[in-house]
Amino acid sequence: MDYFYSYLILAEIYTLLGLSTNLLVGVVGIFSVSQAAVFGVGAYIVGDFLLAGTLSFLPALAVAALACILLNVLISLPSLRVAGDYFVVTSFGIQLLATATFTNWTAGTGGANGMPGVPPPDLLGLPIESTRGILAVTTVATLVACLAFWLILRAPFGRLLKAIREDESAVAAAGKGVLSAKVSAAALAGAFAGVAGGLYATYLSFIDPSSFDLDASILLLTMVVVGGARTLAGSIFGPFLLLALPQVLTFVAIPTTYAATARQLVYGALLIAFALFRPQGLLGERL
Amino acid sequence: MLALQLLVNGIVTGSALGVMAVSFALIYATTRVFHVAHAGVYTLGGYLAWTLVHRGVPDLPALVLAMAGCVVVGSLIQILLYGPLDRRGAAQLVVLIASLGALAVIQNLIAAVYSPDILEFPPNWAGHVFPLPGGLRLTGVQIATVVVDFIAFGLTLAFAHRTLLGKRIRAVASNPFLAEITRLEPRRVHVYVMAIASALVCLPGVLGPLDYGLQPYGGVTPLLTATIAMIAGGIGSLAGAFALAVAIVVLQNLALLVMPGEWSIGVTFAIFVVFMLLRPRGLFAGKA
Amino acid sequence: MTAYLEVCGVTHNFGGLQALNDCAFAISQGGITCLVGPNGAGKTTIFNVITGFLRPDTGRVGFRGRTLSGLAPQAIVHAGIARSFQNLRLFTDLTACDNVMLALPDRAGETPFGALFRPFATARSDRRRRADALERLDHVGLAARADERVRNLSYGEQKLLTIARLLATGAELLLLDEPASGLAAGALDQVMVLLRRLRGEGKTLLVVEHNTRVVQQIADEVLFLHQGHLLAQGPPARIIADPALAEIYFGGAL
Repeated sequence: MDYFYSYLILAEIYTLLGLSTNLLVGVVGIFSVSQAAVFGVGAYIVGDFLLAGTLSFLPALAVAALACILLNVLISLPSLRVAGDYFVVTSFGIQLLATATFTNWTAGTGGANGMPGVPPPDLLGLPIESTRGILAVTTVATLVACLAFWLILRAPFGRLLKAIREDESAVAAAGKGVLSAKVSAAALAGAFAGVAGGLYATYLSFIDPSSFDLDASILLLTMVVVGGARTLAGSIFGPFLLLALPQVLTFVAIPTTYAATARQLVYGALLIAFALFRPQGLLGERL
Repeated sequence: MLALQLLVNGIVTGSALGVMAVSFALIYATTRVFHVAHAGVYTLGGYLAWTLVHRGVPDLPALVLAMAGCVVVGSLIQILLYGPLDRRGAAQLVVLIASLGALAVIQNLIAAVYSPDILEFPPNWAGHVFPLPGGLRLTGVQIATVVVDFIAFGLTLAFAHRTLLGKRIRAVASNPFLAEITRLEPRRVHVYVMAIASALVCLPGVLGPLDYGLQPYGGVTPLLTATIAMIAGGIGSLAGAFALAVAIVVLQNLALLVMPGEWSIGVTFAIFVVFMLLRPRGLFAGKA
Repeated sequence: MTAYLEVCGVTHNFGGLQALNDCAFAISQGGITCLVGPNGAGKTTIFNVITGFLRPDTGRVGFRGRTLSGLAPQAIVHAGIARSFQNLRLFTDLTACDNVMLALPDRAGETPFGALFRPFATARSDRRRRADALERLDHVGLAARADERVRNLSYGEQKLLTIARLLATGAELLLLDEPASGLAAGALDQVMVLLRRLRGEGKTLLVVEHNTRVVQQIADEVLFLHQGHLLAQGPPARIIADPALAEIYFGGAL
């Protein structure tokens, strides 16, 4: 049972990340391979505060969300200035820079050895140690994020973002500002990723750079591509499906040293297959 | 003295990344695909050469065969992936995602077949050290890198400007629509370009690992530097891409005087940010 | 009569190519002005300059006595000038109604704050907005197609939709880039009727048009642009009858 709970908790955390990535990639149409970096910043910030004991869980989560909002806005600023393709460079650059920082800034992140012993989340001073308790916390967070995503998609703000994805000049010609809408979307995506990071760090109690590297960003992108762009159902289905995949792969006798490689290979193949044959994903709209 | 050695090292590695930047720029200017999987082709070249050398194939034929392998893979990516997407009018974002998928597939196939760990070439001429006046040292592979990559760059420029196919490629690059309605057959030209660029990128792909060893995921950071060089040099300017690659890598190397090597990605990225803020169109934009 | 829209000494170069060369003209309020000239005369470029998509090298654009130069495109829409595009640039994944709703000046619910924290008010205002949009769609005869995705509309319907979207901005001066091109006779007549009706409703129209028959039928005044410069201005009959202009227009004097 605990095994199933643990799958649910991780799938919910990745749903937050899927929503974050879908908002940027699916809704606004900004290519991103750096959402795992933002996720990592959230995780390390919460980890640092809780380990130092300077903040309790919720304030630390708020600080992480705020930092990730700022970070994601900063990352997406070049996309306001330069054409789509150049932003690929920004995104790759940020991801590689973040990995370098997570790995080498030992004082803040524990470096390549990771950060062990992150305390469990607490509410009003009461630590939540049980898996079921943590599941309740992640479920609430995920439901709130899903509601937010749904509200945004059906509001004029969502319509504006979808229009920006298609044609920024036409949006400007319709008398609407592109810049503030893009910045707002990036900020929201940052908040989702930051909260996901905080939940991840406190649930696993150990984090290291490998959870927040380029491969992790590719996984997030795969979740959106497979689940489908611009729908709530797609943003939830993608993470739940892809996180079940490693369990399936354990049935195929793959030596454990190659498990990560096999997973990434499958993600890559999925990206190609969906780009070619099903750009709308399983439950979404056309990318 | 250290500074001078770092400068020389920078020029050596810079010429390798210069060829990578030029090959990437050829593809980008012609097909408009931001070919992220180029990093995979680059890595693949090194592994192919490694395998051949281990099977007892002499160095030079091994290099040529590795280039042939890269040509095949690069062309297949164009024929099976970018071509169909282009015909379907797929969004830029979808093509990018497909390219990223191709990169992940190539890298992880390599990791599955070989291993995720670093592979070293057997000790050979490459490690031989040539002392130069002034206390400078150059290894065999460094000399080979500079010579091969500068020649490759020169030949690419000559090819682009002097040959019929080169002119055809530049015509397709400068006006895809016109190329479509004339007899330039842009689709076929795209395959040629991918083939040529894949062969080119195999050179640094083999020579670099002679020095540092091979890693399945080792192509992404060089590609990032190469694409930054292309953008900073100005899209469409092959010479600009090459020159900026050398300049950026020299700066990376000189930065080692003041900060540890783990942070050189930061130096590269800082250069990119400066260019984006001050000169987003690059230094030599517009020149074909 | 004081100038309504005023273009003074606008020059713009693309690389080495001079797209606009000391371009100057003025149009008065009300009526339909057609902008004609051979390919490459700078018609679309002057549209881009007026609407803030291009910053001219020199010169200024004035509208109702106010200088527009330096304003962003959306600010110019707020000032009262909106434009359509030759290649339509509709949001093809959205519905016809969404395209129009997006262009309405109402900004309620267009920030995440409104969308997240005032969901009911946002939904209410969006219903009002939808009613507004349906009215505009009805205006161009597309009310029945409101919930169809744009990519499923015919070309003629898409052209009409660009006009509905233009109307939704609430702008009083409308710049239309070839609203009649590529249309079959029936649809063409429909667009011409619509443009005349807009004039009747007090809008001022500046229209790029190639079809001389259309120009003759709708224009109150014609501006003839050549090599980025205003060559002639006058009533359509006079401009079209001018043999020198006809020579430039049809003689391939590009």
